[in-house]
Amino acid sequence: MESTAKKEKPAFLKAIGGDKLVLFFAIIIVFVLFTILNRNFLSGTNVINILVAASLVGMVAIGHTYLIIAMQNDLSPGSLAALSGVICALLLQKGVPIVLAVLITLCVGALVGIFNAWMVNSIKIEAFIATLVSQMIVRGFAYIICDGKPVSISNQSFNNIGKARLIGIPFSVWLMIICLIVFGFILAKTKFGRSVYAIGGSAEAARLAGLNPRKIIRTCFIMIGVLTAAGGIVFAARMNAGQPAANVNLEFDAITAVVLGGTSFSGGVGDMGGTVLGIILIQSFNTGLTMVGVSSFWQYVARGALLLFALTSDYIRKQRRDKELLEASMRNA
Amino acid sequence: MEQHILEFQHISKYFPGVKALDDVSFQAYGGEVLAFLGENGAGKSTLLKTLNGDYQPTSGTYLLDGEEKHFKTPHEALEAGISIIYQERQILLELSVAENIYLGRMPSNKFGVIDTRKANQMAQEVINEFGLAIKPTTKVKDLSIAYQQMVEIMKACSRENLKVIAFDEPTASLSDDEIEVLFKVIQRLKKQGLIVIYVSHRMSELEKITDKVAIFKDGKYVATKVTRETSQPDLIKMMVGRDLGDIYKNLDRNKEIGDILLDVRNVESDYVKPTSFQLHKGEVLGFSGLVGAGRTELMRAIIGADKLKGGEIYLEGKKIVNRSPKEAMEHGIVMVPEDRKLQGIISNLSVAGNINISLLDRNAGKFGVMDSKKEAKEAEDGIREFNIKTPNPEKKIVELSGGNQQKCIVARGIATHPKVLILDEPTKGIDVGAKSEFYEMICRFAKQGLGVILISSELPEVIGLSDKIIVMRSLQKSGEVLGSEATEDGLLSLGMMGD
Repeated sequence: MESTAKKEKPAFLKAIGGDKLVLFFAIIIVFVLFTILNRNFLSGTNVINILVAASLVGMVAIGHTYLIIAMQNDLSPGSLAALSGVICALLLQKGVPIVLAVLITLCVGALVGIFNAWMVNSIKIEAFIATLVSQMIVRGFAYIICDGKPVSISNQSFNNIGKARLIGIPFSVWLMIICLIVFGFILAKTKFGRSVYAIGGSAEAARLAGLNPRKIIRTCFIMIGVLTAAGGIVFAARMNAGQPAANVNLEFDAITAVVLGGTSFSGGVGDMGGTVLGIILIQSFNTGLTMVGVSSFWQYVARGALLLFALTSDYIRKQRRDKELLEASMRNA
Repeated sequence: MEQHILEFQHISKYFPGVKALDDVSFQAYGGEVLAFLGENGAGKSTLLKTLNGDYQPTSGTYLLDGEEKHFKTPHEALEAGISIIYQERQILLELSVAENIYLGRMPSNKFGVIDTRKANQMAQEVINEFGLAIKPTTKVKDLSIAYQQMVEIMKACSRENLKVIAFDEPTASLSDDEIEVLFKVIQRLKKQGLIVIYVSHRMSELEKITDKVAIFKDGKYVATKVTRETSQPDLIKMMVGRDLGDIYKNLDRNKEIGDILLDVRNVESDYVKPTSFQLHKGEVLGFSGLVGAGRTELMRAIIGADKLKGGEIYLEGKKIVNRSPKEAMEHGIVMVPEDRKLQGIISNLSVAGNINISLLDRNAGKFGVMDSKKEAKEAEDGIREFNIKTPNPEKKIVELSGGNQQKCIVARGIATHPKVLILDEPTKGIDVGAKSEFYEMICRFAKQGLGVILISSELPEVIGLSDKIIVMRSLQKSGEVLGSEATEDGLLSLGMMGD
């Protein structure tokens, strides 16, 4: 997007985008830094660990990429991932076949999405606040249906989902990679993707031009709901249990990843490639902090600082875009 | 007392795509009422906003009594003695008159507790000075619009150091009696030696209240004239900078008007009263009336942008229902909205993206995957057909000039092959050259057999282009005139009659 405005840029920089290059270097710096502090950081096992840990955040971040481009947001994924794990675990305990249990859980994810979209579209609540409502309610239900206790999963073929590997890479990572590619393609190349960018730019103009913003927003919320539920199911399989208290602040990391990746809170700007880099950056950062022995209390501060950094760079990018536009229009006027 | 002088020195202000102010220089003097006159988009309001710190000028400076001023916020301007009374009221309805007047500087005792009684006393003195019959303790929401405006003026005047007071279309929502009261107040402010700036479209008011008129056109300052020594036609000529007749006379108008295309019967929404009209094939149907008369609202009801409360719409004899602009578009009715910035362009998209946004279905292949060749072709067609000046189709639309942005929006609508095209103030804020391009475009559409609805507040435009003109007032139709028989006075009186 930004590359159109400047002229003399090497082709490969254009392809990757100037801002993404900065992000790329940030990832390298994080890797070098943590490797110096702890040799094991760059080991094969640890890189796989980072990817596995990133897989749930990644699924949610895919959904957030769509939502934030469409000028929406969602604070409920942490609760929904936990609820999904618990529901799936309970269904399996009751002897429901795996496929059916998974499908039902995904439907719950879709329902939470519909509920969020309903609050935003029909009661006109700001997405930030509306999804704070569902964050509470959904977390509540996660505790209610299991009486607050983790539900262990004894179904071995289900738990194998968490352990299965292909070419040494775990299933959860494959799932994230496939979803990133599929949803990245939809965003960049399809009618639906075009509509998301348009309503993020101006919902009213898009409506008058024949789009249906309410429907598009609903689809985005359903999408993040289903993606989160899928992530929650795989997470439960890895843990061999559905845990009602799990995944707190999941949305925080996902939103940080998306904004780090160049998707703007002012709407209509961003892409999935940026989100991929954002996910890698935030998860290597989080894992690295744990590995070098930073206390979990200080990790909160560090993560907050990272989001602040992401928002600041979003602001600076926006300022720069506005300035470029102004200069361009002064030439044209 | 020394005379206050406000000097505007080479003020320019750019917005993306628009040169709102272009090297504006002139002076305003204390003890005089100076009018700002100009068409919509001539830069009057922008000038006021850069004066009081709402906007920062891109270049240029202000001198107030010889001292250079740069205001970062309206508050700084206020502290320096510059106050602007806007069209939209800037007062707090839930607070009392006194609280509003002394907002942010209420008298307080040494513990910081607000002394309401003292505030009321002080406010009463100001009210007495103005000779008004209101109480300082009354809540502002219980006052009429006119008195609410008075509270705003009193708030400005209660500052000791007030030097400049500007009114932006102050009479827009006032009755004749209320206007008289306002004019008395303005005369008083003038006698106090203040610099009074008065922005209004109403020619008759200018003669009554102003001493001088500063004329603006397309963001440029034209001249300052002494009101007594000039005439309305002279002012209009300077304002529009051309002889209005010519542009329209040379147009190649469509002469063959066909059958009834659109038949609107008693259409009604929350924002417009039941209204009926008919539009023929190949006809340009003008809609005249004051801003807020319900013209836009009627069209929004027709295309389903607002909910229809009653009435029926027939297109080519068949009854249609538009529950959304999308459905209207599918039936063949498209609208180019008035507010280009918020409702027309999609600012993050390119020129191509904006032209193609209504064609997603047509340009998509299997599984909703976009066909980039089709997209490129549609964009190129639109750019060529409408002579859109852009270095390439991938340029962001906001980088284009206002006129070219508007052409993109028209291209977007025409690309859907509509039967009815609704243009809402299509030439607002567009320079003269681009305007005549739009006029030719409108005639071309009519020749192609489209029904064109043209909403315009510029009387010469609506008279010069329309075959028939419908005038609206107070959210309903107040009259219908043939284009060939319409006069500016006639339309104006139909648009304002009764009030």
